[in-house]
Amino acid sequence: MDTAPTRRQLLTAGVGAGIAGLAGCAETSLDDEADGTFTIVPTADPTGTGDDWDSWGGMAPYWTRVIEPLVWGTDGMQPQPWLATDWTATDDTTWVFDLREGVTFHNGEEMTADDVVHSFEEDILTDRGDFVHGWLHLEPGSVDRIDDYTVSFETTEPFPGFPGTIAHNMIDIQPPEADRRDAEIIGTGPFTLAEIEQGQQLRVERFEDYWGGAPEPTELTFRAAEDATTRTDLLVAGEVDLIHEPATSRISGLRERDDVRIETQQSSGSVFVSINIHREPTDDADLRRALNYAISQEEIVNTVLENIGQPARGPLSTVIDWAADEELPAYERDRDRARDLVSQSSYDGEEISCLVENDMDDGRTLVQILQEEFGKINVNLDVEVLEGPSLRDRTDRGEFHLELGTSQSNSPAADYIMWENFHTMGISNKDLYEADGTGLHNLGGEVDELIETGFQSHDPDEKREAYVAAQREIMDAGVVIPLFYREYVVAADAELEGFDLHPIDKFAQWGELTRTT
Amino acid sequence: MDTASYLVHRFGTSLVVLTGVSIITYGLLFLTPGDPAEVILSQQLDRQPSEAEIEAFRAEQGMDEPVPLQYGDWLTDVLRGDLGTSYYSDASVTGLILDALPLTLELAAASVVVALALAIPTGVLSAVHRGTAIDRASQLGALIGVSMPNFWLGYLLILVFALTLGVLPVAGAGSYSQLVLPAITLGTGMAAVLTRLVRSSMLEVLDEGYLDTARSKGLRERIVIYKHALRNALVPVVTILGVQLGALLNGAVVIEIVFQRPGLGMLLVDAVFERNYPVVQGITLFTAVAFVVTNLLVDLSYRYLDPRVELGGDPA
Repeated sequence: MDTAPTRRQLLTAGVGAGIAGLAGCAETSLDDEADGTFTIVPTADPTGTGDDWDSWGGMAPYWTRVIEPLVWGTDGMQPQPWLATDWTATDDTTWVFDLREGVTFHNGEEMTADDVVHSFEEDILTDRGDFVHGWLHLEPGSVDRIDDYTVSFETTEPFPGFPGTIAHNMIDIQPPEADRRDAEIIGTGPFTLAEIEQGQQLRVERFEDYWGGAPEPTELTFRAAEDATTRTDLLVAGEVDLIHEPATSRISGLRERDDVRIETQQSSGSVFVSINIHREPTDDADLRRALNYAISQEEIVNTVLENIGQPARGPLSTVIDWAADEELPAYERDRDRARDLVSQSSYDGEEISCLVENDMDDGRTLVQILQEEFGKINVNLDVEVLEGPSLRDRTDRGEFHLELGTSQSNSPAADYIMWENFHTMGISNKDLYEADGTGLHNLGGEVDELIETGFQSHDPDEKREAYVAAQREIMDAGVVIPLFYREYVVAADAELEGFDLHPIDKFAQWGELTRTT
Repeated sequence: MDTASYLVHRFGTSLVVLTGVSIITYGLLFLTPGDPAEVILSQQLDRQPSEAEIEAFRAEQGMDEPVPLQYGDWLTDVLRGDLGTSYYSDASVTGLILDALPLTLELAAASVVVALALAIPTGVLSAVHRGTAIDRASQLGALIGVSMPNFWLGYLLILVFALTLGVLPVAGAGSYSQLVLPAITLGTGMAAVLTRLVRSSMLEVLDEGYLDTARSKGLRERIVIYKHALRNALVPVVTILGVQLGALLNGAVVIEIVFQRPGLGMLLVDAVFERNYPVVQGITLFTAVAFVVTNLLVDLSYRYLDPRVELGGDPA
């Protein structure tokens, strides 16, 4: 009897094997994760792109809580003791930091002042580019050990914002044995680096000797998925536990699901139109105020953003404690008043240019709305969507009237936003001011003095008073058209609890993540 | 033309093509708007760099030299196998390409398998059953396959197989299960092109007299079609497979983003957004070389597939 399989039998067996293979794939890829392990998908690739600043040998420290700085930031964007327990300005330019005792590195050694001096002198101030000196107001050779648990910093000039400025994920403390270029990351954080799969995922494990107590999760995987739709699909398929910024068009659908929870958090960012006040016709304050009266921030938040954001009255997110909002003039939409102001102004119907960067989120939609709304008060807007370099080229030369832009701080010290945008010596204005006495968004005089007072003040009340007064002047003169304070969205498995969001999304803590079942 | 002369001729023309590609890719750096040094530093520093920082960066990267000199230096390094160093790290471009290449090759190979597995039986069936419902259905399928944007098909496949049926993962790389959906997505477009080609090629072959001879010898129809007719009909398919390599690499750019596969396509997209010109130039040149070499190999393979073909001869 012939027992050889027929072609039909072979084909059937092949198809069966294929289906079994698919099922096998499904089983291995969609295995339920053991308790204590979680998968998180940030907006950026957690393994970095080889960027020397953002990625250390393949790990982007922004999200992973492997390394830590001396200072952290509170939800109110205030400096918070972390690896340093206290700090004092002993004179205008000297800061003395007391270090936390009993902090253990991932290699088992205790952190001392020598490690802090090493981290700043051999790494932060010498190996990451000269820009760090201007940012931190520190030069190499300015960090000294006083004793095992005390360190001093000598800033190049009076800099009250120093503790808040070093409250940044990248200003971390590592021992001399660490080598960030080769992924030899030895931090103090609640998680230790376990494995990097470049471009795919990064795995960290619980650090039992963490100074703040061992975290709940035994293991976290930070997975790469830079496409918002893919991130959303990963969550819906149950392959991951938490994603940052799901696709906007899917948020309403996610809200209706029982197995997903959505959290929103106001960020330190804002979106506004900045106006070139040194170029005709936007050098006319009446025209600038008219443009402010033409816009309804609430309508923008409701329609374009699907209510993910807060209508803005000022240029800075209100999570920054000295950012003004209620104290500022309310330019609620009033087209009649706007038209009156336009007729009072020197504007005579010419086109006003508005620049927007091509990859700005919702940028094109927002400038379309501006164009329509300004048209209703008889102001012609010429929208130019440009790539970043072209846009910067135009703004550097002052060849524009309006620019749709954003502000964002990755540390609690957000003072630089006021300085760089609105002070005459800020980056936005300095070159043009020195070239021809103009600038872009700088009112000069009293506003410069108020910004200087706020920037140099150690007293929170005095600082706030000065900055609020400066913002009031800026808004009275219509230097910007505030649109909205940013919010970001996190979508998670409904059973997930204990994620601690922060106005700076990269400050989220994962140490208390648990599942309810 | 004998094989040696043909090789010399093709090598020469390939060199001209690659020189043109190298000039164009290098020229990209100077044609794009804005000052590259300023752009790169702005991204690295997350703020506007000072003039001194920009000048220092230009000097460090050799950007302050005349353009022809810069191109000459770059070309000399390329000929030595050194495609340069990423602006954003100390990583060599060659190393970055070699790291990313296996995932793209894996995807390309799997896509070709998918394409051939779909195209050959469909094309043969369509030709054998010319003018019937099978033929019309196959042509319609090919039309849809050619017209459908592959990223859309990718999302559709994710919706069905990952989200609805839950039998395959949404994205990622490293396991065979994560290769299935990207390979089908990328292979489908190629399958559509190949199906049409196999059909037309088969139609030509099916009229040949030697098939009647085979039939008259009593061979079964399946043997006649798949052994005698198909073998000859596949010669033009090999040509198109070579040409399709370019399309595969183009498609991989989108597919690797949708399915989060860190291959050459994703490396290229990241480099373009970062204005990481050495990486962009390196990948473009590498792709061009791969394309030229593949086409050369395809041409050479003709002689072995079909001894009647004369290399470099007149088409007639």
